[in-house]
Amino acid sequence: MLFNSWEFVLFFLAVLILFFNLPQRFRVFLLLVASYYFYMSWRWEFGFLMLGVSFSNFYVGKQVAKGKNKGWWMALTSFISILPLLYYKYANFILESVEDVSAFFGKPTALPSLEVILPVGISFFTFQALSYSIDIYRQKIEPEPSLAKFLTFVAFFPQLVAGPIERSDHILPQFKEKKYFNWDEGIAGLKIFIWGLFKKVVIADRLSLYVDPVFDNPQLWSGPTLLMATIFFSIQIYCDFSGYSDMAIGVARVMGFKLMQNFNLPYWSSSIAEFWKRWHISLSTWFGDYLYIPLGGNRVSVPRWIVNIFIVFLVSGLWHGANWTFIVWGALHAFYYLVEFLGKQGMKALGLISVLGSPIYKSFKIPVVFVLATYAWIFFRANSIGDAWYISQKIFQLEGGLWWGSSSVTSLLSIALILMLAFVQFGQYKGLVGMYYRPSKFPAWLSASAFLMLLIGISLFGVSSNAFIYFQF
Amino acid sequence: MHSFTSSFKLKIKIASFVLAFFLLDFSIGKFLEQGLFRYYGLRTDSKIAFVGHSHLMLGLDKKAIEDELKIPVSKYTREGVNVAERDLMIDQLSEENPELEIVVYGVDAWMFTGEGLSANSYKLFYPFLDQEAPAAYVKKEAEFLDYWQHKLIKTSRYNEGLISSSFRGYLNNWDNLKFGVVDTLQLKLNVESGNFRQINSSEENRRIFEETLQKLKEMGKRVILVYVPTISYYNHAEPEKFRKELNYFRSLADKDSNIDYLEYLEGWEDQFNYFFDPIHLNPVGQKAFTSSFATDLKKILQDGTS
Repeated sequence: MLFNSWEFVLFFLAVLILFFNLPQRFRVFLLLVASYYFYMSWRWEFGFLMLGVSFSNFYVGKQVAKGKNKGWWMALTSFISILPLLYYKYANFILESVEDVSAFFGKPTALPSLEVILPVGISFFTFQALSYSIDIYRQKIEPEPSLAKFLTFVAFFPQLVAGPIERSDHILPQFKEKKYFNWDEGIAGLKIFIWGLFKKVVIADRLSLYVDPVFDNPQLWSGPTLLMATIFFSIQIYCDFSGYSDMAIGVARVMGFKLMQNFNLPYWSSSIAEFWKRWHISLSTWFGDYLYIPLGGNRVSVPRWIVNIFIVFLVSGLWHGANWTFIVWGALHAFYYLVEFLGKQGMKALGLISVLGSPIYKSFKIPVVFVLATYAWIFFRANSIGDAWYISQKIFQLEGGLWWGSSSVTSLLSIALILMLAFVQFGQYKGLVGMYYRPSKFPAWLSASAFLMLLIGISLFGVSSNAFIYFQF
Repeated sequence: MHSFTSSFKLKIKIASFVLAFFLLDFSIGKFLEQGLFRYYGLRTDSKIAFVGHSHLMLGLDKKAIEDELKIPVSKYTREGVNVAERDLMIDQLSEENPELEIVVYGVDAWMFTGEGLSANSYKLFYPFLDQEAPAAYVKKEAEFLDYWQHKLIKTSRYNEGLISSSFRGYLNNWDNLKFGVVDTLQLKLNVESGNFRQINSSEENRRIFEETLQKLKEMGKRVILVYVPTISYYNHAEPEKFRKELNYFRSLADKDSNIDYLEYLEGWEDQFNYFFDPIHLNPVGQKAFTSSFATDLKKILQDGTS
């Protein structure tokens, strides 16, 4: 059940009406049933997988809280939680990698490949459940006494399949509060939902019409075409993923729940470090809290810190997909991060610290960061390292004609939409246009007119239901 | 009391927003629909209508034909329409254009091939959901929610391609915008490697086509089947099957005096500079072909024979 489907609209309306009409004590059960129904509408079997991961973390969390052998209990629940992820997502990748390595050393080995279907959103709910146990282990939170509330926390349908990856100390207390329907909150949530829907069905899905055929057979296309597809993909992945997050935040807000902001205008970052504070914030902070800091963070020697940075980015790449392309994508970002850090240190040593903060330097760096991020997306999107390597070189050879897509009208509209997005985001960057929990500075009638146009835009230009890219993670 | 007043005001605002949406949706939908009617020549007093898919769309210059014949013609051609959809298009034309006397039906060797054309081609008729025949057809083919979304929200019936066509209708612009010439080297390689659309005619499609011809005859409308040029590399990829399809079209004209058949292959299929891709003419090809076709059509109209 996709957010951009009528099935979801009907489902959500039913949940909403029931939610606000049920006594408080039954509401969490409603959310639990609705969340499992939502998840099991993809493949019902995987509902039991999520239930297993949730049970493991709930009961082991209690044992961890008791303090006795908590290290062992923590290791056990981590193993139980990560095992399905390893099997469904990485088993074939590991087998193929073993084949490649053995072939490299002159001893080719044929290993069987597993016929597995990746459960939707497995990386999201695994990380969300695991963060709960780790937080108990660190004595940051107390174990949740209610099984129903904990199961709902892991399965909460707005953010279940593609995030934001929430923390228990942010969501669980919200299940305990009595919610009253509030028109202002409801409308604010709908506005966020509509903006997310627009980004998804009007921009991202339209761009995919150009991007998919080009990236699927890159050798058939000229340098300018590959360049255009790369830029389009950079916008597509942003609109697809941030669109989903917006819809999740919007849906939850209508019901009175506040999810964390997952994107904060990442393409307006003036450094790679800033980019990662603005892109997929819930995942970046997850890796920061549960991987980078346990590794020692930056309170270690410089060589160890460099290793830490690489580990975090490589794991982040691997989290996104079981393919070397994702690992290279992560490594590329680690490389950017470190070069940027060294550059900054060098400028400080040269006494150019005032330059770093100057608005001109900052506005110069925004497009640079966009170009670097876009270049790295080639590895993220390409079907293989070979394709990615080919594209990453070919885009600099501006020979051959530019393909205008199967419909030049569609491609021209795509460019117009990207310009519109940039215009709106400039307004958001400057704090004029409303964004998530920050209201607009424009009069209400103007804001309402803008949303009216967005709705008409979705109706006129919305591309039919395509699944979200991030579901596969 | 204050809470009641502010809640009432809010509800009025929401109701106004919903009303504004449907008003805007209705206005834009109607505007686009009128433009499309103009573009496709529906609801006009045309005596001749061209019906087909993109092959005929890019092959014939409507304005040049009108200038040559001095009568209004309709060019109702849609990308990806199969024989079943063309049958419905003819129903639409017959209903909307009472003066219609002749249907020029674009044919090609692949028109009975089931695969390749979109299974979702019923979506092409979303803009005409306010008309009885297309609405019944879409209702039969589409899913329940899909149908009602398009029935209730008029703007959702359109996409940028249809919007562009609608505006072109208002601007009286039917120009072929497929500039460029087919890459014959690549095409040759594709054909040699088997990478081309094969002819796999289905008897079901052939039956639908014959029923359309019979229906037109019963309605007293004359039929001209026209084979717009397709490139020789493609035509000779499966020579036997291709010849069989041509013989079929020729036999239809031989058997039925209501049907004429005009074939433009010999002398055309090797004019590579006329082609945008294997089956579509570019503006140069369109101009040359339209000129020839207009002369032949004029002769048919004057003599009553081909």
